[in-house]
Amino acid sequence: MSDYADLYQAILEGNAKKAKEVTERALAEGADPLELLDRYMIPAMDEVGRRFDCQEYFVPELLIAGRAMETALQLISPLLAEGGGARAGKVIIGTVKGDIHDIGKNLVISMLKGGGFEVIDLGVDVPAERFVEAVGNQENIIVAMSALLTTTMGYMREVIKALREAGIRDRVKVMVGGAPITQRFADEIGADGYSENASGAVGLARRLLGLASSA
Amino acid sequence: MVRQFRQLTIIGESINDSVPSTHQLLESGNLQALVELACKQAEEGADYIDVNVGARAPELMAELVRRIQEVLDRPLVIDSPDIQIAEAGLRAYDPARAGGQKPILNSISLGRIEMLRLLAIQPCKVVLLVSEHVVDGRTSLCTTAEDSYRAAQKLVELVRETGFSLSNDDLIIDPGLTPLATDTGGHLNRVLQTFVRVREDQDLAGVHFVVGLSNLTVMLPSKRADGSPVKGPLQNAFLTKAVPLGLDMIVASTSRRYSLLPAEHPAVRCLEQCIANPGLAAVLAVRDFYKSGGSL
Ligand code: B12
Repeated sequence: MSDYADLYQAILEGNAKKAKEVTERALAEGADPLELLDRYMIPAMDEVGRRFDCQEYFVPELLIAGRAMETALQLISPLLAEGGGARAGKVIIGTVKGDIHDIGKNLVISMLKGGGFEVIDLGVDVPAERFVEAVGNQENIIVAMSALLTTTMGYMREVIKALREAGIRDRVKVMVGGAPITQRFADEIGADGYSENASGAVGLARRLLGLASSA
Repeated sequence: MVRQFRQLTIIGESINDSVPSTHQLLESGNLQALVELACKQAEEGADYIDVNVGARAPELMAELVRRIQEVLDRPLVIDSPDIQIAEAGLRAYDPARAGGQKPILNSISLGRIEMLRLLAIQPCKVVLLVSEHVVDGRTSLCTTAEDSYRAAQKLVELVRETGFSLSNDDLIIDPGLTPLATDTGGHLNRVLQTFVRVREDQDLAGVHFVVGLSNLTVMLPSKRADGSPVKGPLQNAFLTKAVPLGLDMIVASTSRRYSLLPAEHPAVRCLEQCIANPGLAAVLAVRDFYKSGGSL
């Protein structure tokens, strides 16, 4: 396949227009969509995450790159679906009941999408039943929760309890995050994983589902 | 601190569990250092001192309020979304030690109306947070100024129904300032237009407005490549837009200088772009502001 390093660059710079152009050109030239994703797009988002971690990038750059990534994804995902379904796993995510902070959750979502995950966003102020409903009879997926208030973080425990009572706790992996959450808290409430930031959330999700890291 | 705005009441923000250095003091139970922090902010010009102890024992809130009031005559803001902690703070507050001034309760919102009962404890001023409303039983973020204005009307109505005789002068409306770094939803416009809408309503004449000014610039770098500051100018640019619309109180750092900026200042230009082009374009304008290392 010819070199579409421009696509990597466009996403890294957050240039949605260029990302769209290069993707369209690549597809017209018969490029393999899966390869575009694995060779350029996901590595670009991984690099965005790395730069964010070492404060070369800030949240605006993250959002802008995320948008460029989405633009390219929209072009290739119909083709990927034809080729055989979701690639990375699926994540059901929401900010827990009583809490409407969603900036961190939305960043986690855009990084997860950047990492190839399918994401179902339940929004904010999400009661336990809605998490349970959303899981339904699916398995091997992730339930992710966000909380920014010390008065709402305890509700994560309720959600895990509800999953257990519905008999579906073993079918899913639970990951949690948000400013007041710590690894210790995550362990205490019986979550499977915690990450302190959005780029870490992608690696964590991959590990929880036993997927190889692309980095 | 140089007070450029005589009409702007400053609430010192530093005693807050989400400030890392304060978190340490709270963790180690160093009340003396927290009292000193209150005094330092008062010296730097704070009209009120905010007191937020995070998720800790209500008794700690009470104790801190008492200890601060032993040495300082400034009124306090009792700041907690937890009703028990807020209650403990209000019960401990003694207006006589603050020259008769009432405390401010921060805050009541439509998602937390059970806190209304705290107004019975003693005469106080109250922050009404109007960034959220309840739709079909679920709390969500207001997306338009109209949503926020309605939330304000509703909260004022609920406060009046309690019969605890708060006047409009006791009511402080907080539209909920959200960070520029992620404002793809036009929240800057929502906030500014909320001031306009509330001021048009005669029934709300004389209410005050407050914002948490630092919220505006969270997640932004503190300096540009050339070393010039990012956050201070953007906060001042916000004041330049909001004070003429009626903003008269800020929860803010007492170590910054606040001033109105000239219309051609790059930070004002940046905010004007955010106002004119809400959406991802606004976030791009903010990025361009801190990426262009220009002279200020
Ligand atoms: C913006 C903001 C708001 C906005 C929210 C807008 C929105 N759309 O989200 C508004 C104005 C509405 C708001 C309201 C309130 N807020 Co507020 N808010 C903030 C603020 C300024 C920034 C939060 C933020 O977005 N951070 C940036 C994001 C990117 O960080 P993050 O959320 O932590 O997410 C990162 C990680 O935690 C992680 N992560 C997050 N979620 C997840 C999930 C998973 C699964 C994983 C793996 C990782 C992960 O990845 C993210 C990216 O790296 C903070 C103060 C601050 N400086 O942090 C206060 C703050 C969180 N708010 C606070 C409070 C108290 C409130 C209010 C109760 C009112 C008040 N008195 O201020 C209301 C409550 C509303 C409600 N019912 O929830 C307190 C919380 C105190 C506490 N510890 O309980 C804070 C700390 C402010 C303070 N100093 O008092 N707020």
